Amino acid sequence: MHLAARIESIINVTSTTKVYRLGYRGPSPGPGQFFMVWIPRVGEIPLSTADYEDGELLLAITRRGRVTGYIHENLRVGDRIYLRGPYGKGFNLPRGGDKTLLVGGGAGAAPLLFLAETIRERGGRCDALLGFRSGDEAFFLEEFKRSCGSLFLATDDGSMGSRGAIPDVLRQILGERGYDAIYLCGPEPMMAEVADLVRGTGLRLEASLERYMRCGVGICGTCVLDPLGLRVCRDGPVFPLEVIVRIDGFGRWWRGFDSRKTPI
Amino acid sequence: MLQVELAGLKLRNPLILASGILGSSASLALRVEEAGAGAYTTKTITRDPRPGYLNPSFIDLGIGYLNAIGLANPGIDDFAEELDLMKKAVRIPVILSVGGGSPEEYEYVVKIGAERGADAFELNLSCPHVKGMGAELGEDLDVALEIIRRARAASGGRPIFLKLSAHYNYLGLAEEALKAGISGFTAINTLRGLAIDVYARAPILSNVYGGYSGPPIKPVALRVVYELYENFGKVPIIGVGGVDSWVSALEMVLAGASAVGVGSAIAANGFEIFGEIIEGLRKYLETEGFRRITELVGLAHERSV
Ligand SMILES: Cc1cc2nc3c(=O)[nH]c(=O)nc-3n(C[C@H](O)[C@H](O)[C@H](O)COP(=O)(O)OP(=O)(O)OC[C@H]3O[C@@H](n4cnc5c(N)ncnc54)[C@H](O)[C@@H]3O)c2cc1C
Ligand SMILES: Cc1cc2nc3c(=O)[nH]c(=O)nc-3n(C[C@H](O)[C@H](O)[C@H](O)COP(=O)(O)O)c2cc1C
Repeated sequence: MHLAARIESIINVTSTTKVYRLGYRGPSPGPGQFFMVWIPRVGEIPLSTADYEDGELLLAITRRGRVTGYIHENLRVGDRIYLRGPYGKGFNLPRGGDKTLLVGGGAGAAPLLFLAETIRERGGRCDALLGFRSGDEAFFLEEFKRSCGSLFLATDDGSMGSRGAIPDVLRQILGERGYDAIYLCGPEPMMAEVADLVRGTGLRLEASLERYMRCGVGICGTCVLDPLGLRVCRDGPVFPLEVIVRIDGFGRWWRGFDSRKTPI
Repeated sequence: MLQVELAGLKLRNPLILASGILGSSASLALRVEEAGAGAYTTKTITRDPRPGYLNPSFIDLGIGYLNAIGLANPGIDDFAEELDLMKKAVRIPVILSVGGGSPEEYEYVVKIGAERGADAFELNLSCPHVKGMGAELGEDLDVALEIIRRARAASGGRPIFLKLSAHYNYLGLAEEALKAGISGFTAINTLRGLAIDVYARAPILSNVYGGYSGPPIKPVALRVVYELYENFGKVPIIGVGGVDSWVSALEMVLAGASAVGVGSAIAANGFEIFGEIIEGLRKYLETEGFRRITELVGLAHERSV
């Protein structure tokens, strides 16, 4: 069953992303875990935990289609959102002493913020590289600055930070900084490029993946990764590099709600 | 010890993955085989692709599960390739679950399935939440028998199971289906149900109605299996509904099931459920002094004197 959570505040962080702070009294999520979020009479979608502390849950919701559009246009402070979860296997925290870089593209910044906060609370420190289409789509910059050592920024149009895509900027940083671990979330073609870049370097990498989901608990099979038989909702959504490089069509296609392969 | 023969299918043990659970890809079939299952049932495949219903389409109620996936599937023409991969990936029998809106659609799916080497078929005449498909067709005896006849003709002689619902006159349907040449029965599909959230003051499933599964439906499933055995004797029965332990698997067998389907239990117990049940059955046979699981089929029917 779902747990009703009241919207305590809404921040329009960009024209396409809003951040919702919810009063939430369910089981505590870990970084990388997600919820199935139900809007009655509208729909239910998977959303990552952007942050969580003492009964306050943060969701960063980027407008994509029907349900996210409805949430942006219609939900107000005081309204309720209905959650089931937390689900899935989240990030393994970096080992003590690991030099760690979080790499997030667009809405992919959401689960990484919770990871950054968690690393800081445990007395660690990490850097972050965030990429957006343009400066007005960038969000969570202040939050990442607070919990990270260095924050690198890339935009496709160069309106903020370096001009270029995440892999271009990452290539430079990797050369200069000698990281041990990378945590990755964002559009899959970008993640595929990053995985290629990191492959064979000995760096540890974990990435949070997205797939169409239904049950959230690993029995419907909708979110399966071929040819591994891994379910993103239950065996993931976070997977290590060794798994990611073996996924058929990674960055190119996934299965739709009817299980047919569709281009990403 | 645990081997069973089911309408000519040889199973290394009586556990069968139930339809609609992890039934969409060869990679999952392999994981199910590795977990120990004796056979694999695909999700129900129709002639045309179906996106299924919008989410929420599944909920854990705490006392069982409710789903209205809506027979989402890629359609048999697309699935044919996956079926090839499944047949290459696993050695356990692959049972193709077949759905549709008309006898012609069932026939088409069975025909393609037979060409691609499905080891057996299961006719889904029991899905409780899709209009014009599943249980609605099972309610119309003439249509149901036409589906069975056409499926038989297209099946290349491979076994065909009829998946029954507990909602309609399943004994009447079963009797006619046997005359029409059905090989056995799968009982039961989910029970028609509904869930409401009191704060949302709304039904939870987008489709409003869904199918109820999991341990709470076990007594209903046992009843149907027991009645089928009582009425039709040694016809092969796959008992499905609420099996989540070796004890509940054994209850099905004692009621008359030659094989046992496992579905929702994977949500709570993971793939490990297959190994756990197998281990439990083995121990039971040993300690209770049985040589084969087949000796136990229908034993609960022996009357007291
Ligand atoms: C584990 C996980 C965590 C996520 N975390 C976040 C997050 O923190 N913030 C955020 O903004 N977005 C997140 N997403 C993506 C978010 O779920 C989709 O943007 C959302 O489902 C789109 O719904 P819609 O109705 O607005 O779009 P639709 O109109 O339904 O479709 C637009 C596209 O969204 C995707 N999509 C739709 N439904 C689903 C579904 N049930 N499962 C997966 N993908 C779907 C498909 O690519 C589809 O083509 C996450 C996805 C997953 C799988
Ligand atoms: C998520 C889900 C999807 C299902 N899809 C199908 C299906 O496509 N075809 C079918 O015949 N039965 C389907 N079923 C019913 C199961 O095969 C089974 O008959 C029922 O769930 C009872 O068994 P259980 O209690 O072990 O889950 C589905 C069940 C669930 C939970």
